[in-house]
Amino acid sequence: MISGAWLCLFAPLAGTLLILLAGNRIPRVAAGWISTASVFVAFAGAIWSFFGLRAQSDRSGYLSTAWTWLQSGSFKVGLTVLVDPLSTMMMLVVAGVGGLIVLYSIGYMDGDDEERRYFAYMSLFVFSMLMLVEGGNLLLLLVGWGLVGLSSYLLIGFWHERPSAVAAAKKAFVMNAIGDATMALSFFVIIAHSSSLEFGTSFDLAGSLSPTAINLVALGLLGGAVAKSAQIPLQTWLPDAMEGPTPVSALIHAATMVTAGVYLIARTHTIFEHARTVELAAAGLGALTLVVAGLIALVQTDIKRVIAYSTMSQIGYMFLGVGVGAYANGMFHLMTHAFFKALLFLAAGVLIHALGGEQDIRRMRGIGALMPLTRWAFLAGALALVGIPPFSGFFSKDSIIAAALHDHWYGALLAIAGLVGAFLTGLYTFRLYFLVFPGEPSAFVREHLHLHHGKEGPPTMLLPVGILALLAVFGGFLQFSPVWHPLTNWLDPVARTLTAAEPTNRQEAISSVIAVALGLGGIGLAWALYGRGERAVPHVAALQRILEHKFYFDEAYDALFYKPAAQLATWLRRDFEEPVVLATGTDLGEGALELGEGVRRLQTGLLRTYVLFLGTGLAIVGVIFLAIR
Amino acid sequence: MAGPGIAWYLGIAAFLFGTGALGVLVRRNPIIVLLSLEIMLNGGNLALIAFARHAGNGAGQIFALTVMAVAASEVCVGLGLVVAIHRRRLTLDVDELSELRG
Repeated sequence: MISGAWLCLFAPLAGTLLILLAGNRIPRVAAGWISTASVFVAFAGAIWSFFGLRAQSDRSGYLSTAWTWLQSGSFKVGLTVLVDPLSTMMMLVVAGVGGLIVLYSIGYMDGDDEERRYFAYMSLFVFSMLMLVEGGNLLLLLVGWGLVGLSSYLLIGFWHERPSAVAAAKKAFVMNAIGDATMALSFFVIIAHSSSLEFGTSFDLAGSLSPTAINLVALGLLGGAVAKSAQIPLQTWLPDAMEGPTPVSALIHAATMVTAGVYLIARTHTIFEHARTVELAAAGLGALTLVVAGLIALVQTDIKRVIAYSTMSQIGYMFLGVGVGAYANGMFHLMTHAFFKALLFLAAGVLIHALGGEQDIRRMRGIGALMPLTRWAFLAGALALVGIPPFSGFFSKDSIIAAALHDHWYGALLAIAGLVGAFLTGLYTFRLYFLVFPGEPSAFVREHLHLHHGKEGPPTMLLPVGILALLAVFGGFLQFSPVWHPLTNWLDPVARTLTAAEPTNRQEAISSVIAVALGLGGIGLAWALYGRGERAVPHVAALQRILEHKFYFDEAYDALFYKPAAQLATWLRRDFEEPVVLATGTDLGEGALELGEGVRRLQTGLLRTYVLFLGTGLAIVGVIFLAIR
Repeated sequence: MAGPGIAWYLGIAAFLFGTGALGVLVRRNPIIVLLSLEIMLNGGNLALIAFARHAGNGAGQIFALTVMAVAASEVCVGLGLVVAIHRRRLTLDVDELSELRG
């Protein structure tokens, strides 16, 4: 069981090191296969630890420490892995979906200049995320947290010759760094009170802290979660992160990275439960994000950006779920979302690949007739995203809305936001679908479509899409809230769902019916507006402008943070650096030059004057010696 | 021990050194300058040997031998330079040879 966890953790790292150290000695294709194999070995390790844990009667968690990593007085942190229901579930999702995405990359990145670097980073990304979910104490969690930020930076900026990709990578890194900092601050508070970062002692401590301290800790953790999961107000990096290769987007959105925030809240739920206000604030942020992101997605014209905003929106649902205390439902949505979001991205990647890099949905019209397999796969993903039964999204999303409904007026408000989100999801998802797939192939598509030997893509790309399509369709049957709930039982030892978030059967039924009806309504409206393919964006000038500027978040941050900093820098350069720092150097140089001019005159070139100086000097020294004696 | 006292030796040594120094200072012909340098060195040698005898150990004599070796090599180099200057048809006058003036 524990060996499986260690294997799972270090197999991807071994893959990275192998690719990096082998360098040019292995062919480019081999790098892809090494990376894929390493992640699938990790998946095997995850399965091993899953069945190992299942065989135990006590599933509250098993720690294994390799060595003590840091020690200072009574503060001690080891390199520890934790095997408990939550971590094994995350291991399975991360390594499983991650492995499929890396396999897909072999076909997608074929022929790129720097495949070896790409695959080394992909393995590193999976390793970082596994570190995050398996780390047996808060510090290791933060290590994984930081590594995920680093690998996302490396992969978003993978095409480093594009200035926009480099800017997007920087933006993602800076936004995530804000979250890392708040998390580190909250850890300092924990260390100050308990001098330990073990999960157990930290959680035991939560009850004994003063309200201020516990709220600060929870706020710090929430800051980290919000940054990593791209929730308002730190959401602006996610759509820009679409600059990376498509499989990277799939990896960031489905298996790793953005789900980390949800995992964090579920993992540290004991702390959040003692700071219930902060936890409910997390749910509120999730609700706000899911509506705002859904609205913005309505006007995007880049296929990947539409899907990116849908991710923000779905992560909003997960925040809503774990925020009200329905941890199992949030984690369930995390899992089904990993399936259908990876599917949507990879299917979109097949289109982009076949069209030679084109991402504008207004040009893709009618591609479904030429690529039927991709069309069906995408449709399955889209239906799962909207939450139409029996596709997977239905089971997970509706259980979250139902859980929210139970919690008084605030919960009702959250549930209403969730229902509005369901309608928006139907609208923007099927706007995308109707614009891209049905109808006669456009001139652009006919001209630019390059099929792979008459197929829609190489087998390495189509196989993961097929597997994910099956998972997106059937994955939801794992849990059907009122009837059977193995996942909730599985997570019960570590993250017990709060009683406040256990809806009655009637509430489940009502929320499901309304949500599905609204989702279908969204699809219907999308058909009415975009079914004929006449236009791609709605014509409501004022609203459209706001949405296209993404509610002016970028502009606001620009004015609030970037501009003052830039002005301060300009001012310092003009009034401090140039007159003071630079001028000092110049003055010193000029002084030395003048001194040299003066001393130059002593060098007459006449041998006899030198001798005279020498003699005079000797005489003076002699006189001084005699005088002193 | 018979013979004049150490003061006499030192007096002659100082005289030789002064003569040499004056020659170096006032003469412009490099050959004469070199010659004056040799006289200065020999003044030094005389003082060394006088002190060696006065102190009753041989260290000063060893020094004198070293100085002679140095003087011989110095003359080799110096005369070589003088010949090289002459071959280039430059005037043999140390005041004219002031290329290093700053």
